Amino acid sequence: MAGARTARVRPRLSPFMIGVRSDALVKMARFPSEEWTKLYAEKLNANKSYEDAGKNWEGAITFVVQKDSALDKDAFIYLDLYHGKCRDAKFSLTESDLPTPEYKYAGPYGNWRKLINKEIDPIQGLLTGKFKLQGSMMKIMRFTKAAKEMVNTTASVQTES
Amino acid sequence: MWFFRSPQVVFGDEALSYLSSLPIRRAAIITDRYLLGTELPERVRGALPEGAESLVVGDVSAEPPLSEMTAHLEKVRGFSPDWFVAVGGGSSIDTAKILFALHERPDLTVYDITPLVQLGLRTKSRLIAVPTTSGTGSECTWAAVLSEENEKRKHELASPEILPDYAILDPSLVVSLPPEQTRNTAADAIAHAVEAYGSTWHNPFSDAMAEKALELISENIEGVIRDPWGLGPRGQVHIGASMAGLSFSNSQIGLVHALGHSLGATFKLPHGKAVGLLLPYVVDFNYDACPERYDRLNMLIPPKYRGRRLSGSLRSLLGMMGVARTVRDAGVEEPAYASSMDALVTLALESTGMVTNPKDSGSEDLRNIFIKAFDGD
Ligand SMILES: [Fe+2]
Repeated sequence: MAGARTARVRPRLSPFMIGVRSDALVKMARFPSEEWTKLYAEKLNANKSYEDAGKNWEGAITFVVQKDSALDKDAFIYLDLYHGKCRDAKFSLTESDLPTPEYKYAGPYGNWRKLINKEIDPIQGLLTGKFKLQGSMMKIMRFTKAAKEMVNTTASVQTES
Repeated sequence: MWFFRSPQVVFGDEALSYLSSLPIRRAAIITDRYLLGTELPERVRGALPEGAESLVVGDVSAEPPLSEMTAHLEKVRGFSPDWFVAVGGGSSIDTAKILFALHERPDLTVYDITPLVQLGLRTKSRLIAVPTTSGTGSECTWAAVLSEENEKRKHELASPEILPDYAILDPSLVVSLPPEQTRNTAADAIAHAVEAYGSTWHNPFSDAMAEKALELISENIEGVIRDPWGLGPRGQVHIGASMAGLSFSNSQIGLVHALGHSLGATFKLPHGKAVGLLLPYVVDFNYDACPERYDRLNMLIPPKYRGRRLSGSLRSLLGMMGVARTVRDAGVEEPAYASSMDALVTLALESTGMVTNPKDSGSEDLRNIFIKAFDGD
């Protein structure tokens, strides 16, 4: 079932996956997927810098991964964040399956890949229109460090290329 | 993709007279309580085009809360200005930015001023900043700082649309700046240049502004302190401060401002005094994250102040300027400081300066810097 809930990445990217997977002992996951969401939540809960920066944060956020030439369906990663921990993480290809979050951070799949590879800064990404944010700016501006740690955590998930 | 944003900058002798060439019919002049009692508002009025009407809003206090910033909003709206002319330091300019935005868009609150939405300003009016201090750089930035009511917190508002249309840098407007403000605002400008240069968002445009700013200020500030009325050095420091504003406005501030806003808001220290004293400590903390960049900046400081490391050079330069070296020197008492430490750290952690600082830091790092800065190394 997990496979059925994974947005399909077009095959042209697949050659990069061979070899990386075969000898890897670490858990890897395709982005975006249920597996990736689970691994991400684990990594976020292990990230002390995130815990420190998000210790006063309460509120859920959904990462919206929008389809583009390399991803054929929109995907949604819902994260219930509370006092520096991720209490719940859900993945779906149908937004209405997920609880309504306080924030949405949305961008096309290609930009998410760049974000994960640290080629885009998450806030510069917003300021240049590569990502869109929905939700109260006033609150989130006090947690930019936590947001940065959330993005840094994406890089620590072994993500299939 | 990134941007370089700047107002049109008018600078040098008699720059104020440029006002007469602009199509101003109704000017809202926003200034502070101190300047209201001087001849400056009249000078600005006199520089407006013939026949222009004006309204002076003149009771902006230093680092004002929101209620003060917007106290005259209805009066301003009733006057219906086609230009806002901010005359003063950062507080007057930031107040004018907010009044300008809320005059343009009566449906907004200040908290709607964010860079993520198009505000659609400039349908009725435009904005000119005439700084009378050399330091905050607000005349060249798209940010405004406001103090929260009944809270020891500063809120950082930002939108490219509140960047002034013109910045008028007239050295005759800063020669009478008192010594205390001269040194605090210059220290703020130096901090802007150093933070912009170390920022993870630095870029060739912001680098060029930061380098030249540090050079102009560090070469001329001694002359300003020796002879406050000398137009030459004052003019150079004035230009340098605006260039420092352009540098951080187009990259970002860092930990000095994250810590400085927290310290300043908690103990009511002037902004420049707070960031000036913290700057060398943060440079020490950051050094291993960007040694080449700090070494390059160090070479721009005049040899008489230059040490082996940027932090040492800054200590010499800021020391010559009379900037406090420690939090204790700045007048904060130890028991109050110790009991506020958790709150200081939490406030600093919430600043946007945390994310663009060259070195990643967390609560413990901030606490250590605050502790070190109390008595010095
Ligand atoms: Fe500043």
